Amino acid sequence: MRNNIKELRNKLNITQEELAKKAKVRRETIIFLEQNKYNPSLQLAHDVAEALGTSIDKLFQF
Amino acid sequence: MTNKQYKKIKLIIIVIIAIIFGQSIVLENYIIPIVTLIITSLVLLLLRRRVKDVISDERDMALGGKSALIAIQIYSWIAVIVMFVLYSFKDTNPFYEPIGMTLAYSTCLLMLIYSIVFRFYNKETFSKNKKKYIIFAIILAIFISFFSIRFFSGEDNWVCRDGQWIKHGNPDYQAPIVECK
Repeated sequence: MRNNIKELRNKLNITQEELAKKAKVRRETIIFLEQNKYNPSLQLAHDVAEALGTSIDKLFQF
Repeated sequence: MTNKQYKKIKLIIIVIIAIIFGQSIVLENYIIPIVTLIITSLVLLLLRRRVKDVISDERDMALGGKSALIAIQIYSWIAVIVMFVLYSFKDTNPFYEPIGMTLAYSTCLLMLIYSIVFRFYNKETFSKNKKKYIIFAIILAIFISFFSIRFFSGEDNWVCRDGQWIKHGNPDYQAPIVECK
């Protein structure tokens, strides 16, 4: 599963720390998500998508 | 409080606990470490509540679960192998047998606790078979009670009297190696 979290985050000009706070996870989790090294739960995928102002299907490519 | 500050304090507390535990063993005082453990646990709990950052998330939980499962498997295999080796050499040294048995029983207990916790978290199954689990819990409690009564009753063990270890009943293990005071 691939995602474009990094691109969207850069577009919104927010740091990994800020995104982590919004999604209520640790910064390391955001790093792993951006590197496609971790497949999030549906809840986390929703939270990250919401924090980036987008939807799950636009954020993640299956 | 930030997560970093909390982790630093936690590390300092762990060092303090280790020092106190070490000293308590030397001084043969077992009340101090218990009191220390209770106080430090409460301090850590209070500090944890003051942390505004996320301490652990779903990734940590997933990693923790996998790591715990692998750790249990590794421990079980090592314990079983060591138990067989110790048991086969029990004639060389009689102390090998109780060590091997302790390892074997600890492995059984670990697996039993793991399966109970696993099934407990599997809430759907738990709620469906609630009666079965309550019966199992009662049987387990009765078994532990009988075992505790038997273990702590003072029957069939070694008693320290006038500087010597004297048989009380018919213990199936050797006299303790520690000095009888």
